[in-house]
Amino acid sequence: MFRRKFRALGYHKTDINLQDEQQWRNLIVWLEDQKIRMYKIEDRKRLRDTSTGNWSKAFSQYLDDLECTVDRSNRKTLCDWLLGVAVRTDYGENVEKYNTSQKVTSSNSDAVDDPFAQLDVNSADFKAGLLSICHLLKIPEHYDPITTLQAVSLLVKDRLSEEAQSAVMEEGEDFDLSNYEVGFETRDEVINNASCILRLLHIQELRDLQTKINEAIVCVQRITANPKTDQRLGKVGR
Amino acid sequence: MTTIRSYSDELKFLERIDSHCWRIKKGFVPNMKVEGRFYVNGHLEKLMFDELKQACTYQNKGGFLPGVKQIGNVAALPGIVGCSIGLPDIHSGYGFAIGNMAAFDMDDPQAVVSPGGVGFDINCGVRLLRTNLQMKDVIPVKEQLAQAMFDHIPVGVGSKGIIPMGARDLEEALEMGMDWSLREGYAWAEDKEHCEEYGRMLQADPSKVSARAKKRGLPQLGTLGAGNHYAEIQVVDEIYDMHAAKKMGIDRLGQVCLMIHCGSRGLGHQTATDALVQMEKAMKRDKIEVNDRQLACARIHSKEGQDYLKSMAAAANYAWVNRSSMTFLCRQAFAKQFNTTPDDLDMHVIYDVSHNIAKVEEHISFIEYQLDVKYSSMVVLKRIANLELNNVMNILSGIVWRSAKSSTCWMENRRGYSFTEKDPLVPFLLITHSFLSTTRVYFL
Repeated sequence: MFRRKFRALGYHKTDINLQDEQQWRNLIVWLEDQKIRMYKIEDRKRLRDTSTGNWSKAFSQYLDDLECTVDRSNRKTLCDWLLGVAVRTDYGENVEKYNTSQKVTSSNSDAVDDPFAQLDVNSADFKAGLLSICHLLKIPEHYDPITTLQAVSLLVKDRLSEEAQSAVMEEGEDFDLSNYEVGFETRDEVINNASCILRLLHIQELRDLQTKINEAIVCVQRITANPKTDQRLGKVGR
Repeated sequence: MTTIRSYSDELKFLERIDSHCWRIKKGFVPNMKVEGRFYVNGHLEKLMFDELKQACTYQNKGGFLPGVKQIGNVAALPGIVGCSIGLPDIHSGYGFAIGNMAAFDMDDPQAVVSPGGVGFDINCGVRLLRTNLQMKDVIPVKEQLAQAMFDHIPVGVGSKGIIPMGARDLEEALEMGMDWSLREGYAWAEDKEHCEEYGRMLQADPSKVSARAKKRGLPQLGTLGAGNHYAEIQVVDEIYDMHAAKKMGIDRLGQVCLMIHCGSRGLGHQTATDALVQMEKAMKRDKIEVNDRQLACARIHSKEGQDYLKSMAAAANYAWVNRSSMTFLCRQAFAKQFNTTPDDLDMHVIYDVSHNIAKVEEHISFIEYQLDVKYSSMVVLKRIANLELNNVMNILSGIVWRSAKSSTCWMENRRGYSFTEKDPLVPFLLITHSFLSTTRVYFL
């Protein structure tokens, strides 16, 4: 639990038992000492003194000082909240470091050469252009321009690209929707039909996914499979 | 059974709902929480009532509890939802009737799980393979083919399989189910898709299966066993729904198919026996009362209940591995006989239906609120129940598949019910039968 947060903060363990009193107290002290630093060093004495009976009181005071709002009786929630505070503090102090590292990764990709990276999808020009493409391709417009653009891209790829044009269109069979049970009833025929179509499309998508999974399994089988039989082991019973 | 009533008194509790469905009213047996239902046609109805009449005449002395009474006893189990259902293959069994199906609400702390509901042969099921052979290809070599099958799949009580297995292999198989068969190369990637649960129950925990059960199961992988289990070569005789048949690639009359009916062998039997011992203790502790001692059960969320579900899942995985191994061996036998590959023989799995199993299922009920006159029905989703299923009927594209051919065969012997009889109640997609009694390969 909280493995990633522990790792991000650089705690020496990635998994602790929250019910273990000593581990729990050590974690709190470490968080305050290394990350949160709510108190001045000399004021941390009470909290650091993990072996005495006063610790719980000190901890409760500490949570008050941090203005903790979550359920204090649940250690899991509390731990998550404290780790969150620590991560926030860490980030707040090193905003630049974390933000630049993000830039480095994105510039590593080919985003720089990508003309679409500079595209402002919310500009009026873009929207007007998109609308006219939609009219041309007879695609209904979605309120999110990116979704509309994706639909345009799909249509172009599947129907209008050179590849799709040269490939022979597979003639589907006519299918009577009334023969298909969608499993629920909306009392509206249009919605019934639409849900039927969505369900069938979903099934097709699942089929494609399953086919890909099967291909992957076959690849792995080339490495792992070694079926054996040994006739000598066989024994016919009564 | 404290009250002994006459047959005519018993009949007052049974009420016909329609031509094929009967209601068992509360009070038929003590403590019924819900009603019972059973589905029969005229022929089966007579058998069902004769069974009850017999029991009344002899006042349950010696012999089985009649199926109707067993449906009632299941309806008296704590936590049952809906009703206790008897499917058309209903007849007397261990605790639960064969063909008895029930669902229990997992959110109800009193709800129970009963090994009797699953049965001793955990995840016993039938699997159908197709081939691209016709009857005329097989007839001339039927004896050799039968011999090749016998050579590959040992049969009978105490038989041992020809697939080498170590203790570690068994542990992995119990945990991984058909994924183990896939990894080791005994199954084809597509096989999984045609199995319930994709051939693997994720909650399986091999550590909950006793050493004794593992010891019994280890040498038995890839064997049929005895009883009503079989691997037989069948021929498509009649097609009822061409569209569905085409989708499954069994669309020609005279096409040769293979059917395997088998379960988890000694491993499943031992697992069920172990669980029953634990549950008798749990019943005393939790003060669970049932009408029939064979309905030993434990609360789903008790340790015994959870242990049973985990070990049952492991045994179910074993059964899938077992059927997959036999599929592999059948493919080998056919390939050898016809001097080609299983691929070229198109030996795909069509379906694998489990009829002795308990599953956790989420069911959604729709409640509609009419908010406005037009276009505004809202759908509220509510989780109601999780299911325990016995003798699962699979509903594939609206066709009810009669899953338990086994029990039908069994009934054929026990109750004079003919399998090929055209029964309006059982809408078979296709009826297959063994084309000659000599080629019924294993029917022990």
